[in-house]
Amino acid sequence: MKLESKVPTGPIEKSWDKHRFDLKLVNPANKRKFKVLVVGTGLAGSSAAASLAELGYNVESFCTQDSPRRAHSIAAQGGINAAKNYPNDGDSVWRLFYDTVKGGDFRAREANVYRLAQVSNGIIDQCVAQGVPFAREYGGTLSNRSFGGAQVSRTFYARGQTGQQLLLGAYSALMRQVGAGTVKLHPRREMLDVVVVDGVARGIIVRDLVTGKVERHWGDAVLLCTGGYGNVFYLSTNANGCNVTATWRAYKRGAAFANPCYTQIHPTCVPVTGEYQSKLTLMSESLRNDGRVWVPKKKGDERKPDLIPEDERDYYLERKYPAFGNLVPRDIASRAAKQMIDEGRGVSGSLSVYLDFQDAIKRLGEDKVREKYGNLFDMYHHITDENPYRVPMRIYPAVHYTMGGLWVDYNLMTTIPGLFCLGEANFSDHGANRLGASALMQGLADGYFVLPYTIGGYFAGTKLGKITTDHDAFKEAESSVNAHTKKLLAVQGKNSPSVLHRKLGHVMWDKVGMGRNAKGLNEALQEIPAIREEFWKTVAVTGTGEEFNQTLERAGRVADFLEFGELLAKDALTREESCGGHFREEHQTPDGEAKRDDEKFCHVAAWEYKGEGKDPVRHEEPLTFDNVHIATRNYA
Amino acid sequence: MPAAEAPAPTAPRCNCRAVEFLESSIGKKIMVALAGLFLCVFLLTHLAGNLILFLGGPAFDRYAQMLESNPLLPLAEGGLVVLFLIHIALAVRARLANMAARPVAYQVYKGKDARTPGSSTMALTGTLVLVFIIIHVATIKFQVGGAKGPDLFGHVTGWFHNPLYAGFYVVALIGVGLHLSHGVQSAFQTLGLNHPRYTPMIKALGAAFAILIALGFLSIPVYFGFIVHAPATPPNGAAMPSGPIGGAQ
Amino acid sequence: MTTNNEAKGMNLTLKIWRQKDARDPGGLVEYKVENVSPEMSFLEMLDVLNEQLVAKGQDAVAFDHDCREGICGMCSLMIDGQAHGPDKAATTCQLHMRRYKDGDTITVEPFRAKAFPVVRDLVVDRSAFDRIQQAGGFVSVNTGNARDANGVLIPHETAEKAMDAAACIGCGACVAACPNASAMLFVGAKVSQYALLPQGQPEREKRALAMRAAMDEEGFGHCTNEYECEAACPKEIKVSNIARLNREYLRATLVSE
Repeated sequence: MKLESKVPTGPIEKSWDKHRFDLKLVNPANKRKFKVLVVGTGLAGSSAAASLAELGYNVESFCTQDSPRRAHSIAAQGGINAAKNYPNDGDSVWRLFYDTVKGGDFRAREANVYRLAQVSNGIIDQCVAQGVPFAREYGGTLSNRSFGGAQVSRTFYARGQTGQQLLLGAYSALMRQVGAGTVKLHPRREMLDVVVVDGVARGIIVRDLVTGKVERHWGDAVLLCTGGYGNVFYLSTNANGCNVTATWRAYKRGAAFANPCYTQIHPTCVPVTGEYQSKLTLMSESLRNDGRVWVPKKKGDERKPDLIPEDERDYYLERKYPAFGNLVPRDIASRAAKQMIDEGRGVSGSLSVYLDFQDAIKRLGEDKVREKYGNLFDMYHHITDENPYRVPMRIYPAVHYTMGGLWVDYNLMTTIPGLFCLGEANFSDHGANRLGASALMQGLADGYFVLPYTIGGYFAGTKLGKITTDHDAFKEAESSVNAHTKKLLAVQGKNSPSVLHRKLGHVMWDKVGMGRNAKGLNEALQEIPAIREEFWKTVAVTGTGEEFNQTLERAGRVADFLEFGELLAKDALTREESCGGHFREEHQTPDGEAKRDDEKFCHVAAWEYKGEGKDPVRHEEPLTFDNVHIATRNYA
Repeated sequence: MPAAEAPAPTAPRCNCRAVEFLESSIGKKIMVALAGLFLCVFLLTHLAGNLILFLGGPAFDRYAQMLESNPLLPLAEGGLVVLFLIHIALAVRARLANMAARPVAYQVYKGKDARTPGSSTMALTGTLVLVFIIIHVATIKFQVGGAKGPDLFGHVTGWFHNPLYAGFYVVALIGVGLHLSHGVQSAFQTLGLNHPRYTPMIKALGAAFAILIALGFLSIPVYFGFIVHAPATPPNGAAMPSGPIGGAQ
Repeated sequence: MTTNNEAKGMNLTLKIWRQKDARDPGGLVEYKVENVSPEMSFLEMLDVLNEQLVAKGQDAVAFDHDCREGICGMCSLMIDGQAHGPDKAATTCQLHMRRYKDGDTITVEPFRAKAFPVVRDLVVDRSAFDRIQQAGGFVSVNTGNARDANGVLIPHETAEKAMDAAACIGCGACVAACPNASAMLFVGAKVSQYALLPQGQPEREKRALAMRAAMDEEGFGHCTNEYECEAACPKEIKVSNIARLNREYLRATLVSE
């Protein structure tokens, strides 16, 4: 396997323009002859499907939910970054590029990040034109707020529901195309395999989740926009349905999986209350604009927060990182919280830290705070039955986003020609840590402004013969899907899939979570295969494959997580350094900050599948930093 | 997959905007609302006329005479019939569509306390009012049954001496009140007239109107049926039991 | 599994609608769940029930859910006759068991409407909403056609009002709660969002006419202004949006050519 990034040469400011010019074009009349299968309808999937259909391609769109509008992008709260510099506070494309590369701890491809920053402004324009109701100032201009890892206000937002509004914008564009007949929609379908013909992706196998019917779909290109794999930890801020299945099965068909160990732990989530808990709820990072994070100075201080006087509180982020204060990047805020809890200064059973709004309420008034964060406060109130206007929120880090994903080149194409990967599902832009409000930016950049160009280059430069779903490759893929289903149904054990998923989650969180070390990772590499074995002996899948069967769906996803978790741990073990969201305890500075090893690990690690029971092979794509001076991140 | 594809259009497409409007869910409701509001105006004038009963026989019969001799009366009556027909026909059609919209009923349905006694009984009170109107028009206008006589006053008050008849009036008029308690403000909403400042006012006025109409009309059967109970003389107008107002004549 | 040796939780009786597929007539089936913690969400309580059913070799109760934080609109459920259960401004996934007490009996049914056929158990097909959206719930602007985002000024209040309407999560609770299974709140919210914003003006009449037509074709009921939709809406969308839809439709009927 060769990793060719296809990054254009020359000055970075010109590279995307030059690349676009160099890409061959598809004649408008010919576009409709190409069929593109888009899997997933989040920000990346919906925006890509709609934009491709607008260009004239023949598009089919697939999602597991009952409607494309429910993809998990909908849950993104805080905002979307763009280098508009509307607040006149010194922002620029270059600064957004710089902040993102630095925020990613120098583990992202410079050219990709630059392009992302470049197209960011167009995204805001596009979304506004679609009728996305971003927050506005009284004069009618767009409002901005600040987010972690940046010292400028470049985040556009629609209350605490920015992801929802952006997704509904993309969804409306998609619906427009469905109505026009240019996109065919397949809801409640789960992609279970990629069909590769002569080394080129030519179709997918999906299961109709209502009837259980396994379907073959051919296409001239396949786009995986299937999100991240955070649910490998069982508990995460992801939706219950989020899974690794689509990208994992693509990996098994030859797509390299890059940097699986880069997982983001979000610092502000509602803490866990019990074993039955099915998900962790995020409290938007935007809250750190006005909320102050603290713990008691004294260990094991069990007094109520309002009884702890000011001088006995440790506003540790403000203390440790005076320049960025509460707005340090997520990985740093999360680790700092873990540190406090490890020191025994956590609150409410030592499982959380406080996020306090009393000062903001005093400064701005309760109404203003409500206007900015009302829905987040309500959400917190619903879950905990505590009123955050009166008592500080209790927060704890939780798995939130995964920077790793299928390896893609500058054109967003995986190592399987014709198979593209967009949004969170790919590895491309965030390096080892993603900055707040950049996921929405990347998903939409890929879908609206990158892929629609690069796919043209692929079609114009590739000879694609005719294909039908009767091809042997389709038959083989379908029968392997059916065999997998049959195998799951045949176990007839006693453990519901979620019981085993939870078990995996415990191992992942304890040993492959926020702090990782060789010992723990090696243990995890023993334990994960053991749980996998237990899974295939004891899993209980009731019902049949020919009906609506959520237990079967769940089992299939857990089976993939049980394989994928091992790769994640392996990647974490191999990466003998700390960077961004990947923190190896052996590699830290005396004051507990991440210590990179640029000599040995300034590269992307991409794993190649070698077959059942065989060790995957690790490939490296070296990273060079010609434009941003590589340095130790410093937010103090 | 039960309904992934668009369902076949059920009705043939019509290019005529008016028909499309009347066939549409919103159009139907707008027509029901408009007709309803006009009927409210009628109710007000009718109430004013009826209250003349309290002025005694001669005054009421003079008023009746005046109405009867007005050449525009058939036109007004025709208009009224049309309004009722529009209101009823479209409301019934909407109701049927609404029943079809939920073919399997809930085993338990509680809602969240948004409905009012008026809103949840519109079809019931509407039907009651319809039955009432038929009986009312038959017995009073066309004088089917009851005491026949030259003067309307005697005829009307005579009817109310029948406790069953008066009782039915009371029930029906409470129905009218309930119907209006929802209908008036609902009509404004259907016509799109909703405004944070005015809607609370409209709701209050709607309720007041319902009470006014119901109490106003109720005063007649209650007074003539249950308070002034002596059917002293046959209805020939000469020596009438007169009400407090009538007595002041 | 669930019990984790916590303080003894509640014991509940559930009456759940079971229906194998769209053709099966279906009916209520009684289940007992024990040791339910008040901290659990309603869906987590159903998870516990399902784990127990699956361990016993029985089919799990099918129910739609995804984000479990009240934003995706996937979860539904008519709980004791109330869409999304007894709480105001919350989805079923945000309902917590602290709302209930030991010994309670809870009836759980799917959202019911002709336009929302049951797929299985508590799962219904809400694709009718997608089709209504396809009829006109968009601004026709191709990618790349946009002018600078600050090129159109939109007053703060207008943006907020549009946002109030745009907050709809498309869960269908309005339809489920409506005595007439009407979709006017959903459609009203969408039409309102675009009618309020300058971006929506070019297609304003076309949209109102088309979305109304699509809504009726799906077989939703007529609005009788009982406002149960507003009371059930987890995002507190106001019925003033229905009034606006009525207005927009009337206006479009009268003025468009």
